[in-house]
Amino acid sequence: MKQNNSSHKSNDSYDVIIIGGGVTGAGTARDCARRGFKTLLLERQDIATGATGRNHGLLHSGARYAVNDSESAKECIVENFILRKIASHCVEETDGLFLSLPEDDLAFQKKFIEACQSAGIPAEEIDPKQALLMEPSANPNMIGAVKVPDGAVDPFRLTASNIMDAKENGATVLTYHEVVGLHREKNRIIGVKAYDHINKEEKSYYGSIVINAGGIWGQHISEYADLKIKMFPAKGSLLIFGHRVNNIVLNRCRKPSNADILVPGDTICLIGTTSDRVPYDQIDNMEVTPDEVDLLMREGEKLAPSLAHTRILRAYAGVRPLVASDDDPTGRNVSRGIVLLDHAVRDGLEGFITITGGKLMTYRLMAEWATDLVCKKLNQTKKCDTAEVPLPGSRHSKEELINSIHTGAKTIAQGAIYRHGEMASKIDTTEAVKSSLVCECEGVSVGEVEYAIEELDVNNLVDLRRRTRVGMGTCQGELCACRAAGIMEGKVKNCSTRAKEDLANFLNERWKGVYPTGWGESLRGSEYSAWVYEGVCGLTNKKD
Amino acid sequence: MKFDTAIIGGGLSGLICGIQLQKKGKKCAIVSTGQSALHFSSGAFDLLSYLPDGSEVENIQEGVKKLIEQNPNHPYAKLGEALPNLINSATQLFEELNISFVHGESNHYKITPLGEIKPTWASLDRLATIQEKQQFPWKKVALFNLDGYLDFYPKFIKQGLKDHQVEVNTFGFSLPELDRLRRNPTELRATNISNVLDKESILNKFIAILKSKISNEEVILLPAFLGLKNDNAFKTIEEQIGKPVKVIPTLPPSIIGIKLQQYLQEEFISLGGVYMLGDNVLEADLENNSVQRIYTYNHGDIPIQAKHFVLATGSYFSQGLIATQKEVIEPVFNLDVTFDSDRTKWYNKDVFETQPYLAFGVKTNKELQGLINNQPLNNLYIVGAVLESFNPIKEGSGGGVSILTALAVADKIAKN
Repeated sequence: MKQNNSSHKSNDSYDVIIIGGGVTGAGTARDCARRGFKTLLLERQDIATGATGRNHGLLHSGARYAVNDSESAKECIVENFILRKIASHCVEETDGLFLSLPEDDLAFQKKFIEACQSAGIPAEEIDPKQALLMEPSANPNMIGAVKVPDGAVDPFRLTASNIMDAKENGATVLTYHEVVGLHREKNRIIGVKAYDHINKEEKSYYGSIVINAGGIWGQHISEYADLKIKMFPAKGSLLIFGHRVNNIVLNRCRKPSNADILVPGDTICLIGTTSDRVPYDQIDNMEVTPDEVDLLMREGEKLAPSLAHTRILRAYAGVRPLVASDDDPTGRNVSRGIVLLDHAVRDGLEGFITITGGKLMTYRLMAEWATDLVCKKLNQTKKCDTAEVPLPGSRHSKEELINSIHTGAKTIAQGAIYRHGEMASKIDTTEAVKSSLVCECEGVSVGEVEYAIEELDVNNLVDLRRRTRVGMGTCQGELCACRAAGIMEGKVKNCSTRAKEDLANFLNERWKGVYPTGWGESLRGSEYSAWVYEGVCGLTNKKD
Repeated sequence: MKFDTAIIGGGLSGLICGIQLQKKGKKCAIVSTGQSALHFSSGAFDLLSYLPDGSEVENIQEGVKKLIEQNPNHPYAKLGEALPNLINSATQLFEELNISFVHGESNHYKITPLGEIKPTWASLDRLATIQEKQQFPWKKVALFNLDGYLDFYPKFIKQGLKDHQVEVNTFGFSLPELDRLRRNPTELRATNISNVLDKESILNKFIAILKSKISNEEVILLPAFLGLKNDNAFKTIEEQIGKPVKVIPTLPPSIIGIKLQQYLQEEFISLGGVYMLGDNVLEADLENNSVQRIYTYNHGDIPIQAKHFVLATGSYFSQGLIATQKEVIEPVFNLDVTFDSDRTKWYNKDVFETQPYLAFGVKTNKELQGLINNQPLNNLYIVGAVLESFNPIKEGSGGGVSILTALAVADKIAKN
């Protein structure tokens, strides 16, 4: 049943075709491949480009949902501990604090702790003075604090690692393949039509089951089957700060509201989110407005006052894939829980499943549910093992790996292990040239960039950023983008004209996140980048 | 401390102004915070490369006329009739300073680290330049780069020159003496490489490598990573190999820019100027619409008094302009600054389109005097990148505005 063949023909047929390369699609591909199905995953852009790559990167303990949605809270805490085990290289076990500020009601704290405990979330009330010792950046005026097992998770690494395991188990993954139609035979979906954006051609793929894991874009996919899934696009905006001001996740101890979570991650920290309904036809045009920036700043400073003096790197927004309940067409009853739709049961259409709703935290469970349904349909009995088997990169402990470094540039090797776990051993360090740094902010070497290009489906500089953090640090690509473009030239069929276009695209993509916060140091950096790239290098986006 | 003129800002514009005034017998002090934008300059000064409508400028004087029609508030418009003379003074100053520049009435072309061929006005003659876009002086060139040096892009340059029918042979090299830098990869930068290569014994090894690789190429092209400490490095290579050596700029830090900064600084000091390095103006006393004195960090309550003051503090990068969430301010005198009060209008969503924020800056009258509440300060002149109403990057006018406004102000002060 398995095959690992990258030179597939256009009429290949599969057991399962998964639409969407977010973490849910990637997790489903992993699960399906591990259970022995011949699996194909199609993604219209790069992996983790939708909601997966546009959130806090918070390893929720579930505490935030405990009061209002105990079911989600229970799912979160279980998955939280699973991810610490199977995705240790993507997770930072930071813990989290829920702060009550003078304007917050301490009575809520009591209710909160009780709700956490009944959902199975360890929640411990902490004296504010001790909380301040644990996390000195926290607002010293807090009147209460509760410690919960929150953490940070890198969604790009998590998705890439699921993809890697899926491929190791025989799955085929095609990025830049946009599904543009479904093949239907009577009341059965038998395959998909996809447009290959790299080779600019349309292809068909056939499969016994097609899984729609398109997140917010899933509504559009379902329309190809003349089905109606009503999504409620909710935009969430976030700000990234240029320093890691906190080491423990900071939350507000109140009903979930705007900008009440500050998450540390790698070298930075993020505050978010806002929540606003947006029209479905705008989901590909998310922009952060000055009002949202102001609101995030104002609320963020309440959690950690030093944010007022911290440089903002960029702003970005994602769209939550919330689903309206079927029996509630008005959308008042919007679920944040997992939604698994068997269209055979719901709509009388065989061979088509939708897995949506849910959260980053529950992607694995969503994948398990979807794959269980595939098993049922295809009479496969193999049990799910994704909760026990570590992902590639997490098969050895970081400490073990770091202790095994004896030669070469140790800090660089540590950075690579931090990002890639034991897969870092594939990074070429034999020659000194390979440890030249491409990105000084994040410590990314030539060897790591080449590894990403060769092994991690990197097609362009933006993809490379998702795999390695090149251009994600304080400088936002001032020099590293140019250096990486120099390495990309000649690889992935890149001629120098295309490599320069790619560099221009990368800089434009960065700018979209920078200009909403374009003042102070951020604008200084932008002016400098403009001088370097346009002034010194003569780069434009115009073709001669 | 009393001076004839106190200049705030020791980059290109401040130094040119100070040198010219010292030459005219005026005693000057320059207060400089340190690094200037010259540290990432490519070594070629643009005066006007493109008009606001995007069309390329060939003849500079004609281009400037059209520019002033399209943007009557441009700093060049304020120079008025004096502009041709100022351009002459600039080239004369280069000659007096003994810096060889390539320049002319029309733009020539420079080669960028990404292999783009771009118009420019005055280039240090060590830079690889081309007089006419269609007429390259070479048919076959040898292009070298240090293995693992990532701030220079031979593949792009090769392609850029190939588009103009120039055959490029590229060669990588390495030297054991440079491996120490490589082991600490953040140190593989132009300045650190130059510190190694400039040593005579290592330079000779480098020359031996060059010799062993080249054959019938007409010219040797190198990244600008040589000659920071050794002024004769290039001449030595040329003498020993018998072929011309030209350089192409690298990503920052720019050796050419740093050398230029050092050279101008030394020149200003040797002319009798006082260069206060690493100091910062904190406060200014104003009376009767003029600046009386300024106070600096290092000199505490001892003020600097002068008949004339020149503000040459640069743009955002040099912190001559500071953007906050709501406004753009000039931090030394709190002068009137042109900017849009709606922050969303500061930017174009396409990073390569004209960015309005780059044209924000200090307002002046026709005499280049700074204003407070629209009232000019009679003895405060504004020069260089801190000025309003020009886009140095899009127009290719940064070097020209810095040099020409500095010379214009030096003339005004000298006449006074």
